[in-house]
Amino acid sequence: MADMRNDKARKDAISKASGRETYVGDLSLDGMIYACLVRTSVPRGIIKSITLPPLPDGYYYFDDRNIPENGRNELWMIQKDWKCFAAGSSGYVGETIGILCGPDRTLLYSLRDQIKVEYEEQTPAVSIEDSLALVGGPIIGENNYHCTVELQAGDGDIDEIMKNAYRVVEEKFSTGHQEHMHLETNGMMVNYEDGKYVYYASCQCPFYIRKSVAGIIGATPEDIIVRQMSTGGAFGGKEHFPDVVAGPLILAEYYLKKPIKLIFNREEDTQFSVKRHPSVVKFKTALDRKGNILAMDSIVYYNAGRYLASSYIVIQRGCMHIEGVYKFPVARTRGYSMATNTFPSCAFRGFGAPQTIFAVETHMTHIAEKLGVDPVEYKRRYLIKQGDTTITNGKIVENVRTPELIEKVCKASDYFEKSRKYGFGSGKGIGFSLYNHGGAFTGNGESAIIKAVVKVCKRKDGTVLIKAGQTEMGQGFSSAVCRIAAKTLGIPYEKVIYKYPDTSVVPDSGPTAASRSTMVPGNLVMKACEELKARWDEADELECEAHYEHPEGYPWDQASFQGYAYLGYGWGACVVEVEVDPRTAETKIKGIWSAHDVGNCIDPLIVHGQVNGGIAQGIGWASTELLENKGGYFKQHSMSDYIIPTSMDLPAQEVYYANEPYKWGPYGAKGMGELVFNGSGAAYVDALSRAINRKIDSIPNPTEVIMGHILHSEKLTEDKR
Amino acid sequence: MSEKLHIAQNLEDALLFRKENDCIVMAGSSDLMVSAYQGYGALPKFDKPVLLIRNLEELIGVRRNSDGTVEIGACTTSRQIVESPDTPWVLKQAAGRMGAVALRNSATIGGNIANASPKGDTPGPLYLLDAVVNVMSLDGGRRSIPIRDFIIKFRTIDLKNDEIITSVTIPVSDKDMTYWFYHKIGTRAANAISKLTLCACAKVSWGEVKDFRIAATASGPVTNRSRDVENIAIGLKFDELAAKASEISGAFDKVISPRAMPEFRREATRRMIEFFIDKVSKNSYKKFYN
Repeated sequence: MADMRNDKARKDAISKASGRETYVGDLSLDGMIYACLVRTSVPRGIIKSITLPPLPDGYYYFDDRNIPENGRNELWMIQKDWKCFAAGSSGYVGETIGILCGPDRTLLYSLRDQIKVEYEEQTPAVSIEDSLALVGGPIIGENNYHCTVELQAGDGDIDEIMKNAYRVVEEKFSTGHQEHMHLETNGMMVNYEDGKYVYYASCQCPFYIRKSVAGIIGATPEDIIVRQMSTGGAFGGKEHFPDVVAGPLILAEYYLKKPIKLIFNREEDTQFSVKRHPSVVKFKTALDRKGNILAMDSIVYYNAGRYLASSYIVIQRGCMHIEGVYKFPVARTRGYSMATNTFPSCAFRGFGAPQTIFAVETHMTHIAEKLGVDPVEYKRRYLIKQGDTTITNGKIVENVRTPELIEKVCKASDYFEKSRKYGFGSGKGIGFSLYNHGGAFTGNGESAIIKAVVKVCKRKDGTVLIKAGQTEMGQGFSSAVCRIAAKTLGIPYEKVIYKYPDTSVVPDSGPTAASRSTMVPGNLVMKACEELKARWDEADELECEAHYEHPEGYPWDQASFQGYAYLGYGWGACVVEVEVDPRTAETKIKGIWSAHDVGNCIDPLIVHGQVNGGIAQGIGWASTELLENKGGYFKQHSMSDYIIPTSMDLPAQEVYYANEPYKWGPYGAKGMGELVFNGSGAAYVDALSRAINRKIDSIPNPTEVIMGHILHSEKLTEDKR
Repeated sequence: MSEKLHIAQNLEDALLFRKENDCIVMAGSSDLMVSAYQGYGALPKFDKPVLLIRNLEELIGVRRNSDGTVEIGACTTSRQIVESPDTPWVLKQAAGRMGAVALRNSATIGGNIANASPKGDTPGPLYLLDAVVNVMSLDGGRRSIPIRDFIIKFRTIDLKNDEIITSVTIPVSDKDMTYWFYHKIGTRAANAISKLTLCACAKVSWGEVKDFRIAATASGPVTNRSRDVENIAIGLKFDELAAKASEISGAFDKVISPRAMPEFRREATRRMIEFFIDKVSKNSYKKFYN
């Protein structure tokens, strides 16, 4: 096992803590003007007319009508269905109609507010239920399905098993929208430099932007350079969404050829950006006389919004995690990505896995409680292990250490004693969850789609420069990758340099997403450094590169989603303890204990920070982060009404590890950035349910919702243990 | 319109500008700047000139008058209110839970009253304490108005175009009551807006309830208090109070009119009132409850 020293500060620590770090909002170039987006204000309807006020000199408006003849009004994400400009119809509140540019922002916004748009309004479908009922008529196709997934593993006819079972437990779970609420809002600047369109962007995936927007002006990705700026948080919200900002900007730049900057304010970023998919998950689980699970059948609906964005993969991931960390004799799931008239849902830490994991964890807990067995004991019976078959009919490749993780959190939290003592309805509750997250792209995605390349360069001054498309967005990649290189080369950490990627300089090593950066590009950096080390004395300046190769013997068929979905999973266990004030339903979190298998910690402090933050964000999702959508409009619009927890709402966390080194990762490391989000919500809801002795099957649970549960929800158990 | 922003040099200067201009009076600016926000990089938008009074020494500070009442200057910040030994406990509770540290360093009590927001933190205790709002105009014009009359309705106050709020006078001190209760249900622990706040107090003397008050904020367009409801308790022996708990909380339920989250606000209000009555009816030693 590698022992990565942790006595050196993060690469970005001093510049960020001292305020010297430059964000896109800080940039200023000669002749720079500003831009703002003009957006639709109805969730569904035909745009009848757009009337502009007289524009003073130096102010410009562009929309789809200005797209050159060889250009197309489309953003290329996974498909090309997301229009750059609304072009005659509104599919959700906040769809981009056009872009307004000019030198003075006060005047710019005032001009925007004077633009009159006339609509012929139609009835929107906002929720999953609306979409299934085809409210207002289908949005896409005949049945509003953006895409579907069906997976089954195990022998036997699942419908027969249900028919013959001693008991079938049916439950339905739901989760709501979640806003990323990254500290830095979305923003970027575009400029025309030496015949290229150059973006300075707060983003996760610079190469995505190039690919997505080039077609709007009939250009190629090579005509575009994206330079990532320091990015103040992202969480998936800056994976595909920057394309939506970059699209209108490239059209304006096509005509204006001067620096144009567009920064969202907090209200825009909250109301008019992508969100986590709301979900409805239904289970039918067959039990025998002794309470053993015979089969689990499920239907998964995700609210994808108007356009596909990344929902195709999000629903897949949701379905692939439907069994949680368990193995059932027979399992089947059917997933539907539903079109609605809400802002498109997209990537958010966990990428579809948290919704199904919350559902399966809570379902398992409820079954255990029905049977009078402690949920931890019950869950232990079904743990998936090395060699077991997953729902995609691949196998678990690695040694699974969930029994140790359970041991660690239960011991540290005194779970069994508290579980017995607090019982149900005492105002105190302890909750437990297990979870995992498959690292990197699904199946053969890394080799078939991404084909990552990284370079490392020895320079004259003895420093080594990392060239990769991976972005630093606060998660710590810049420090972790330098530690990997320094260790491999046997040179000081200070001698290794990481720079924010510039697509004209670095190779495309794939998106900074899917918990893949340390695991896959980090491993390529290690490999390239091994070669560089061997050839170190060849020259003063030397560049080595490494290309991704998928390990052999783990097949995947993308057409049928069959095979080895993930070679290395992160695994986790979490215990949360709460106390509920019976007068007011206010909830105080008294303790949080977690244990994870992250392969190996390249940088233990950064991993610790990810654990703390991921668990807090998961608890926020499950508790206070209510984002209501009424008739197509998000009701919350700022940090004062969209409530993310603060450090004052959370106790100090106790963090443990039982790491199983990952064979194909750098020094054993595997993905962990999303894992740490996936399970805390279920543990929190379990604790809360027990404290008030009420069945809770939905997320989020702000105080008023908890009061509603106390007054109306079904009891978990009649007898107080 | 003579100027867009006037920074008052002293109270007289402020009153003169106020008399000569139809203007917005700004103190801590923590609410007004938010409502005037036009977007990233743009100037805030005010449809009238702004008179800034936050630095007027005459309007800052908490002091005890010779008649025992406490007077708090309109531009006293929440932090200053919390730090003063003369501030009644229940008001200190409210001021200390307002927003976050930075906000408590700028937000003023005068501004909190003038906003007349149903979610304001200080009006609840001020209603409970029968506070009086003092306003002034040029040439010595003064009025003192009970806060329940001064706040006319949602976002509307009884302030004339040439007047400025100068201070608030509080006639009740901690020792005047036997029991005090304050509880704010915020959206979270830090930087929280009130979902519901209840404050209450009771005076028990020789076994009899001599005074009893309840004020609820964020459960209607303005803070709710009802002397009729309170009179159910007043005059009872303290041990008779428990039997009247549900009658009192039921009567108070008819006073409040929460628009959003009505079930939660009604239920939590009822439960908090009954909690307080339980404490009073047991003649507990403890004086202050949260």
